[in-house]
Amino acid sequence: MPVLTKHYRRYDFESDLEKALNRVDFFRIFHTMALRHGFDHFGVLHLTNEHETSPLASRLVLHDLPAGLAETYDKRHRLNDSALFRSFYRSTIPTVWRADDAADEGGADFTGQIGFDLILSIPVHAVNGTRYVVLFLGDGEDISRTKHLEIAYEANCAFDYFHRQVLANKAGMGLTPRETEILRWISYGKTASEIALIVSVSEHTVNSHTATILKKLDVVNRTQMVAKAIREQIIQ
Amino acid sequence: MTVTAARRRETRRTGDGPSDATRFSTHMAATVHILLVDDDPAEDVILRALMRKVTSYAIELHYVETVEAALAFIRASGAKLDMILMDNRLQPQADFRETVPELRRAGYIGPVGVISSSISDAYFQKIDDYGVDFRIDKAELDPTAIEFILQEYVNRQVNTGE
Repeated sequence: MPVLTKHYRRYDFESDLEKALNRVDFFRIFHTMALRHGFDHFGVLHLTNEHETSPLASRLVLHDLPAGLAETYDKRHRLNDSALFRSFYRSTIPTVWRADDAADEGGADFTGQIGFDLILSIPVHAVNGTRYVVLFLGDGEDISRTKHLEIAYEANCAFDYFHRQVLANKAGMGLTPRETEILRWISYGKTASEIALIVSVSEHTVNSHTATILKKLDVVNRTQMVAKAIREQIIQ
Repeated sequence: MTVTAARRRETRRTGDGPSDATRFSTHMAATVHILLVDDDPAEDVILRALMRKVTSYAIELHYVETVEAALAFIRASGAKLDMILMDNRLQPQADFRETVPELRRAGYIGPVGVISSSISDAYFQKIDDYGVDFRIDKAELDPTAIEFILQEYVNRQVNTGE
Protein backbone atom coordinates (compact mmCIF):
# COMPACT_ATOMS: atom_id res chain seq x y z
CA MET A 1 0.00 0.00 0.00
CA PRO A 2 1.34 3.47 -0.76
CA VAL A 3 2.71 5.03 2.37
CA LEU A 4 1.37 8.43 3.34
CA THR A 5 3.78 11.26 3.79
CA LYS A 6 4.64 11.98 7.39
CA HIS A 7 2.86 15.30 7.14
CA TYR A 8 -0.54 13.65 7.21
CA ARG A 9 0.12 11.52 10.24
CA ARG A 10 -1.23 13.10 13.35
CA TYR A 11 -2.35 10.07 15.29
CA ASP A 12 -0.72 7.75 17.75
CA PHE A 13 -1.85 4.45 16.28
CA GLU A 14 -0.19 4.85 12.90
CA SER A 15 1.90 1.73 13.24
CA ASP A 16 -1.21 -0.45 13.67
CA LEU A 17 -2.73 1.10 10.57
CA GLU A 18 0.46 0.82 8.53
CA LYS A 19 0.75 -2.85 9.46
CA ALA A 20 -2.87 -3.81 8.82
CA LEU A 21 -3.07 -6.45 6.07
CA ASN A 22 -6.58 -7.83 5.92
CA ARG A 23 -10.15 -7.63 7.22
CA VAL A 24 -9.27 -9.30 10.51
CA ASP A 25 -6.66 -6.61 11.18
CA PHE A 26 -9.18 -3.84 10.50
CA PHE A 27 -11.76 -5.66 12.62
CA ARG A 28 -9.18 -5.60 15.45
CA ILE A 29 -8.55 -1.88 14.96
CA PHE A 30 -12.22 -0.81 14.87
CA HIS A 31 -13.29 -3.25 17.59
CA THR A 32 -10.55 -2.03 19.94
CA MET A 33 -11.44 1.57 19.09
CA ALA A 34 -15.09 0.94 20.03
CA LEU A 35 -14.19 -0.66 23.35
CA ARG A 36 -11.62 2.01 24.17
CA HIS A 37 -14.25 4.72 23.83
CA GLY A 38 -16.93 2.92 25.83
CA PHE A 39 -18.95 1.39 22.99
CA ASP A 40 -19.71 -2.29 22.50
CA HIS A 41 -19.79 -2.62 18.72
CA PHE A 42 -18.94 -0.94 15.44
CA GLY A 43 -20.16 -1.09 11.85
CA VAL A 44 -18.91 0.42 8.60
CA LEU A 45 -21.90 1.23 6.42
CA HIS A 46 -21.76 1.85 2.67
CA LEU A 47 -23.91 4.75 1.42
CA THR A 48 -25.14 5.14 -2.11
CA ASN A 49 -27.95 7.51 -3.02
CA GLU A 50 -30.69 8.37 -0.58
CA HIS A 51 -33.44 6.48 -2.40
CA GLU A 52 -31.55 3.24 -2.88
CA THR A 53 -33.18 0.79 -0.47
CA SER A 54 -30.47 -1.77 0.28
CA PRO A 55 -30.96 -3.45 3.64
CA LEU A 56 -28.66 -2.84 6.59
CA ALA A 57 -26.99 -6.26 6.30
CA SER A 58 -25.83 -5.70 2.73
CA ARG A 59 -24.62 -2.17 3.47
CA LEU A 60 -22.36 -3.29 6.31
CA VAL A 61 -18.93 -3.83 4.78
CA LEU A 62 -17.29 -4.61 8.13
CA HIS A 63 -18.87 -4.95 11.57
CA ASP A 64 -18.75 -6.82 14.83
CA LEU A 65 -22.48 -6.91 15.56
CA PRO A 66 -23.84 -10.16 16.98
CA ALA A 67 -24.41 -12.71 14.21
CA GLY A 68 -27.79 -12.27 12.57
CA LEU A 69 -28.66 -8.96 14.27
CA ALA A 70 -28.55 -6.91 11.06
CA GLU A 71 -30.55 -9.55 9.16
CA THR A 72 -33.20 -9.63 11.87
CA TYR A 73 -33.35 -5.83 11.87
CA ASP A 74 -33.96 -5.95 8.11
CA LYS A 75 -36.88 -8.36 8.53
CA ARG A 76 -38.64 -5.88 10.79
CA HIS A 77 -37.54 -2.42 9.72
CA ARG A 78 -36.38 -0.37 6.75
CA LEU A 79 -33.09 1.42 7.29
CA ASN A 80 -34.18 4.15 4.86
CA ASP A 81 -37.09 5.08 7.15
CA SER A 82 -34.87 5.79 10.13
CA ALA A 83 -34.00 9.30 11.23
CA LEU A 84 -30.38 8.20 11.49
CA PHE A 85 -30.20 7.16 7.82
CA ARG A 86 -32.00 10.28 6.60
CA SER A 87 -29.60 12.47 8.53
CA PHE A 88 -26.68 11.21 6.40
CA TYR A 89 -28.17 13.09 3.43
CA ARG A 90 -28.62 16.35 5.29
CA SER A 91 -25.28 16.66 7.02
CA THR A 92 -21.87 15.01 7.33
CA ILE A 93 -21.27 16.09 10.92
CA PRO A 94 -20.39 13.23 13.31
CA THR A 95 -23.47 12.86 15.50
CA VAL A 96 -24.40 11.20 18.79
CA TRP A 97 -27.77 9.45 18.78
CA ARG A 98 -29.60 8.61 21.98
CA ALA A 99 -32.94 6.96 22.44
CA ASP A 100 -35.77 9.26 21.43
CA ASP A 101 -33.55 11.68 19.48
CA ALA A 102 -35.30 10.41 16.37
CA ALA A 103 -38.51 12.11 17.45
CA ASP A 104 -36.86 15.51 16.95
CA GLU A 105 -35.39 14.54 13.59
CA GLY A 106 -38.39 12.88 11.98
CA GLY A 107 -38.17 9.20 11.11
CA ALA A 108 -37.93 5.95 12.97
CA ASP A 109 -35.75 5.53 16.05
CA PHE A 110 -32.84 3.37 14.87
CA THR A 111 -31.41 3.10 18.40
CA GLY A 112 -34.60 1.52 19.68
CA GLN A 113 -35.05 -0.67 16.62
CA ILE A 114 -31.57 -2.15 16.81
CA GLY A 115 -31.58 -2.17 20.61
CA PHE A 116 -28.76 0.12 21.71
CA ASP A 117 -28.92 3.23 23.90
CA LEU A 118 -26.17 5.23 22.30
CA ILE A 119 -24.95 5.38 18.72
CA LEU A 120 -22.25 7.58 17.28
CA SER A 121 -22.36 8.06 13.51
CA ILE A 122 -19.28 9.33 11.72
CA PRO A 123 -19.78 9.99 7.99
CA VAL A 124 -16.57 9.38 6.03
CA HIS A 125 -15.63 9.16 2.41
CA ALA A 126 -13.00 7.47 0.30
CA VAL A 127 -10.59 9.32 -1.97
CA ASN A 128 -12.85 8.48 -4.91
CA GLY A 129 -15.76 10.21 -3.18
CA THR A 130 -17.67 7.06 -2.22
CA ARG A 131 -19.53 7.63 1.02
CA TYR A 132 -19.52 5.43 4.11
CA VAL A 133 -20.52 5.86 7.75
CA VAL A 134 -18.64 4.42 10.70
CA LEU A 135 -21.11 3.58 13.47
CA PHE A 136 -20.27 2.89 17.09
CA LEU A 137 -23.02 1.31 19.17
CA GLY A 138 -23.34 0.81 22.91
CA ASP A 139 -25.41 1.30 26.01
CA GLY A 140 -23.54 4.24 27.54
CA GLU A 141 -25.26 7.42 28.64
CA ASP A 142 -23.26 9.85 26.52
CA ILE A 143 -19.70 10.58 25.47
CA SER A 144 -17.65 13.64 26.28
CA ARG A 145 -16.75 16.26 23.70
CA THR A 146 -13.10 15.22 23.86
CA LYS A 147 -13.93 11.55 23.30
CA HIS A 148 -16.27 12.53 20.48
CA LEU A 149 -13.52 14.43 18.69
CA GLU A 150 -10.94 11.71 19.30
CA ILE A 151 -13.05 8.84 18.05
CA ALA A 152 -14.24 10.82 15.01
CA TYR A 153 -10.64 11.50 14.02
CA GLU A 154 -9.49 7.95 14.70
CA ALA A 155 -12.41 6.49 12.74
CA ASN A 156 -11.58 8.72 9.77
CA CYS A 157 -7.95 7.58 9.79
CA ALA A 158 -8.81 3.90 10.21
CA PHE A 159 -11.44 4.06 7.47
CA ASP A 160 -8.96 5.71 5.10
CA TYR A 161 -6.52 2.82 5.53
CA PHE A 162 -9.32 0.24 5.41
CA HIS A 163 -10.59 1.59 2.12
CA ARG A 164 -7.20 1.79 0.47
CA GLN A 165 -6.09 -1.63 1.70
CA VAL A 166 -9.31 -3.66 1.43
CA LEU A 167 -12.23 -1.89 -0.26
CA ALA A 168 -10.67 0.04 -3.11
CA ASN A 169 -11.48 -1.08 -6.60
CA LYS A 170 -8.11 -2.30 -7.78
CA ALA A 171 -8.87 -2.39 -11.49
CA GLY A 172 -5.78 -1.74 -13.56
CA MET A 173 -3.33 -2.45 -10.77
CA GLY A 174 -0.60 -4.99 -11.37
CA LEU A 175 -0.80 -8.52 -9.98
CA THR A 176 1.47 -9.59 -7.15
CA PRO A 177 3.76 -12.62 -7.71
CA ARG A 178 1.41 -14.77 -5.58
CA GLU A 179 -1.64 -13.64 -7.59
CA THR A 180 0.17 -14.39 -10.85
CA GLU A 181 1.07 -17.84 -9.54
CA ILE A 182 -2.56 -18.56 -8.64
CA LEU A 183 -3.74 -17.22 -11.99
CA ARG A 184 -1.36 -19.61 -13.74
CA TRP A 185 -2.74 -22.60 -11.82
CA ILE A 186 -6.29 -21.48 -12.64
CA SER A 187 -5.30 -21.42 -16.31
CA TYR A 188 -4.20 -25.06 -15.91
CA GLY A 189 -7.72 -25.90 -14.76
CA LYS A 190 -6.94 -26.44 -11.08
CA THR A 191 -9.66 -25.92 -8.48
CA ALA A 192 -9.28 -23.66 -5.46
CA SER A 193 -8.67 -26.59 -3.11
CA GLU A 194 -6.06 -28.08 -5.46
CA ILE A 195 -4.29 -24.73 -5.73
CA ALA A 196 -4.36 -24.39 -1.93
CA LEU A 197 -2.54 -27.73 -1.63
CA ILE A 198 -0.01 -26.83 -4.32
CA VAL A 199 0.75 -23.33 -3.03
CA SER A 200 0.58 -24.27 0.69
CA VAL A 201 -2.05 -21.75 1.72
CA SER A 202 -5.67 -22.09 2.77
CA GLU A 203 -8.52 -22.43 0.30
CA HIS A 204 -9.86 -19.17 1.77
CA THR A 205 -6.63 -17.39 0.79
CA VAL A 206 -6.83 -18.78 -2.75
CA ASN A 207 -10.41 -17.53 -3.03
CA SER A 208 -9.42 -14.09 -1.70
CA HIS A 209 -6.59 -13.83 -4.22
CA THR A 210 -8.93 -14.97 -6.99
CA ALA A 211 -11.46 -12.28 -6.03
CA THR A 212 -8.68 -9.68 -6.12
CA ILE A 213 -7.49 -10.87 -9.53
CA LEU A 214 -11.06 -10.54 -10.86
CA LYS A 215 -11.12 -6.94 -9.61
CA LYS A 216 -7.68 -6.04 -10.89
CA LEU A 217 -8.28 -7.47 -14.36
CA ASP A 218 -11.82 -6.06 -14.34
CA VAL A 219 -13.39 -9.34 -15.41
CA VAL A 220 -16.43 -11.26 -14.19
CA ASN A 221 -15.44 -14.93 -14.23
CA ARG A 222 -12.47 -17.28 -14.36
CA THR A 223 -12.79 -17.93 -18.09
CA GLN A 224 -12.65 -14.24 -18.93
CA MET A 225 -9.85 -13.89 -16.37
CA VAL A 226 -7.62 -16.43 -18.12
CA ALA A 227 -8.49 -15.12 -21.59
CA LYS A 228 -7.61 -11.56 -20.62
CA ALA A 229 -4.42 -12.65 -18.83
CA ILE A 230 -3.20 -14.44 -21.97
CA ARG A 231 -4.23 -11.54 -24.21
CA GLU A 232 -2.30 -9.12 -22.02
CA GLN A 233 0.63 -11.54 -21.75
CA ILE A 234 0.47 -11.80 -17.96
CA ILE A 235 0.70 -15.57 -18.50
CA GLN A 236 1.71 -17.55 -21.61
CA MET B 1 -26.95 0.69 34.02
CA THR B 2 -30.08 2.80 33.70
CA VAL B 3 -33.61 1.46 33.47
CA THR B 4 -33.64 2.50 29.81
CA ALA B 5 -30.41 0.67 29.12
CA ALA B 6 -31.71 -2.42 30.86
CA ARG B 7 -34.90 -2.26 28.82
CA ARG B 8 -32.99 -1.89 25.58
CA ARG B 9 -30.61 -4.73 26.37
CA GLU B 10 -33.67 -6.84 27.07
CA THR B 11 -35.24 -5.70 23.78
CA ARG B 12 -32.08 -6.69 21.90
CA ARG B 13 -32.14 -10.10 23.53
CA THR B 14 -35.76 -11.12 23.66
CA GLY B 15 -38.54 -8.63 23.23
CA ASP B 16 -39.53 -6.40 20.38
CA GLY B 17 -36.07 -6.35 18.93
CA PRO B 18 -34.27 -9.20 17.23
CA SER B 19 -34.45 -12.29 19.38
CA ASP B 20 -31.58 -14.68 19.97
CA ALA B 21 -33.70 -17.50 18.66
CA THR B 22 -34.18 -15.70 15.34
CA ARG B 23 -30.70 -14.28 15.31
CA PHE B 24 -28.92 -17.56 15.76
CA SER B 25 -31.22 -19.91 13.96
CA THR B 26 -29.18 -19.90 10.77
CA HIS B 27 -25.92 -20.68 12.53
CA MET B 28 -26.78 -23.36 15.04
CA ALA B 29 -27.14 -26.17 12.54
CA ALA B 30 -23.52 -27.28 12.26
CA THR B 31 -20.82 -27.63 14.87
CA VAL B 32 -17.60 -25.76 14.17
CA HIS B 33 -14.46 -27.75 14.93
CA ILE B 34 -11.42 -25.71 15.97
CA LEU B 35 -8.02 -27.12 16.85
CA LEU B 36 -5.92 -25.15 19.32
CA VAL B 37 -2.18 -25.85 19.22
CA ASP B 38 -0.49 -24.34 22.26
CA ASP B 39 2.16 -25.65 24.65
CA ASP B 40 0.47 -23.94 27.59
CA PRO B 41 -2.60 -25.89 28.77
CA ALA B 42 -3.81 -22.72 30.52
CA GLU B 43 -4.53 -21.24 27.09
CA ASP B 44 -6.84 -24.16 26.38
CA VAL B 45 -8.75 -23.41 29.59
CA ILE B 46 -8.98 -19.69 28.77
CA LEU B 47 -10.01 -20.20 25.16
CA ARG B 48 -12.56 -22.84 26.14
CA ALA B 49 -14.14 -20.35 28.56
CA LEU B 50 -14.21 -17.67 25.83
CA MET B 51 -15.75 -20.03 23.31
CA ARG B 52 -18.53 -20.92 25.72
CA LYS B 53 -19.60 -17.28 25.53
CA VAL B 54 -19.97 -17.44 21.74
CA THR B 55 -23.66 -18.15 21.44
CA SER B 56 -24.12 -18.01 17.69
CA TYR B 57 -22.01 -21.08 16.91
CA ALA B 58 -21.73 -24.50 18.47
CA ILE B 59 -17.97 -24.78 18.84
CA GLU B 60 -16.05 -27.93 19.57
CA LEU B 61 -12.54 -27.03 20.64
CA HIS B 62 -9.86 -29.69 20.25
CA TYR B 63 -6.53 -29.17 21.94
CA VAL B 64 -3.01 -30.44 21.33
CA GLU B 65 0.31 -29.17 22.67
CA THR B 66 2.71 -29.72 19.77
CA VAL B 67 2.90 -29.46 16.00
CA GLU B 68 3.54 -33.19 15.82
CA ALA B 69 0.31 -33.85 17.71
CA ALA B 70 -1.50 -31.41 15.41
CA LEU B 71 -0.18 -33.25 12.35
CA ALA B 72 -1.31 -36.55 13.85
CA PHE B 73 -4.73 -35.01 14.55
CA ILE B 74 -5.04 -33.79 10.96
CA ARG B 75 -4.04 -37.15 9.52
CA ALA B 76 -6.17 -39.21 11.90
CA SER B 77 -9.21 -37.04 12.15
CA GLY B 78 -12.13 -38.14 10.04
CA ALA B 79 -14.18 -35.15 11.13
CA LYS B 80 -13.76 -31.90 9.28
CA LEU B 81 -11.56 -29.34 10.93
CA ASP B 82 -12.86 -25.82 10.29
CA MET B 83 -9.94 -23.84 11.68
CA ILE B 84 -6.59 -24.14 13.43
CA LEU B 85 -5.46 -21.60 16.01
CA MET B 86 -1.73 -21.83 16.40
CA ASP B 87 0.38 -20.42 19.19
CA ASN B 88 3.24 -18.53 17.58
CA ARG B 89 6.08 -20.03 19.55
CA LEU B 90 6.07 -23.78 20.01
CA GLN B 91 9.12 -25.81 21.03
CA PRO B 92 11.19 -27.09 19.31
CA GLN B 93 10.18 -24.90 16.32
CA ALA B 94 10.96 -21.18 16.34
CA ASP B 95 7.68 -19.58 15.29
CA PHE B 96 4.84 -19.76 12.77
CA ARG B 97 7.28 -19.57 9.87
CA GLU B 98 8.33 -23.12 10.71
CA THR B 99 5.12 -24.57 12.10
CA VAL B 100 2.38 -23.49 9.69
CA PRO B 101 4.13 -24.72 6.51
CA GLU B 102 4.24 -28.15 8.17
CA LEU B 103 0.45 -28.09 8.53
CA ARG B 104 0.13 -27.13 4.88
CA ARG B 105 2.52 -29.86 3.78
CA ALA B 106 0.28 -32.31 5.62
CA GLY B 107 -2.53 -31.22 3.30
CA TYR B 108 -4.53 -28.96 5.59
CA ILE B 109 -6.18 -26.25 3.47
CA GLY B 110 -8.53 -24.76 6.06
CA PRO B 111 -7.87 -21.40 7.70
CA VAL B 112 -4.96 -21.06 10.11
CA GLY B 113 -4.77 -18.18 12.59
CA VAL B 114 -1.67 -17.41 14.61
CA ILE B 115 -2.25 -16.26 18.18
CA SER B 116 0.48 -14.66 20.20
CA SER B 117 1.01 -12.39 23.16
CA SER B 118 2.69 -9.97 20.75
CA ILE B 119 2.16 -9.65 17.02
CA SER B 120 4.24 -6.54 16.53
CA ASP B 121 7.46 -8.19 15.29
CA ALA B 122 8.24 -7.37 11.67
CA TYR B 123 7.94 -10.98 10.48
CA PHE B 124 4.21 -10.91 11.29
CA GLN B 125 3.86 -8.80 8.16
CA LYS B 126 4.79 -11.90 6.14
CA ILE B 127 1.95 -14.17 7.26
CA ASP B 128 0.75 -14.63 3.66
CA ASP B 129 4.07 -16.13 2.64
CA TYR B 130 3.81 -18.89 5.24
CA GLY B 131 0.22 -19.98 4.68
CA VAL B 132 -1.25 -18.06 7.63
CA ASP B 133 -4.68 -16.50 7.15
CA PHE B 134 -4.74 -14.06 10.06
CA ARG B 135 -2.92 -13.09 13.24
CA ILE B 136 -4.42 -11.93 16.50
CA ASP B 137 -3.05 -10.89 19.85
CA LYS B 138 -4.16 -13.19 22.69
CA ALA B 139 -5.36 -10.12 24.58
CA GLU B 140 -7.66 -9.26 21.67
CA LEU B 141 -9.35 -12.65 21.57
CA ASP B 142 -12.78 -12.08 23.04
CA PRO B 143 -16.12 -13.70 22.13
CA THR B 144 -16.84 -10.93 19.59
CA ALA B 145 -13.49 -11.49 17.89
CA ILE B 146 -14.04 -15.25 17.76
CA GLU B 147 -17.49 -14.75 16.26
CA PHE B 148 -16.11 -12.33 13.66
CA ILE B 149 -13.35 -14.74 12.67
CA LEU B 150 -15.81 -17.61 12.31
CA GLN B 151 -18.07 -15.46 10.14
CA GLU B 152 -15.11 -14.46 7.98
CA TYR B 153 -13.49 -17.84 7.54
CA VAL B 154 -16.16 -20.47 8.09
CA ASN B 155 -19.26 -18.90 6.57
CA ARG B 156 -18.17 -16.16 4.23
CA GLN B 157 -18.40 -16.61 0.49
CA VAL B 158 -16.30 -14.41 -1.78
CA ASN B 159 -16.81 -13.88 -5.49
CA THR B 160 -14.32 -16.16 -7.20
CA GLY B 161 -15.88 -15.98 -10.63
CA GLU B 162 -17.19 -19.57 -10.52
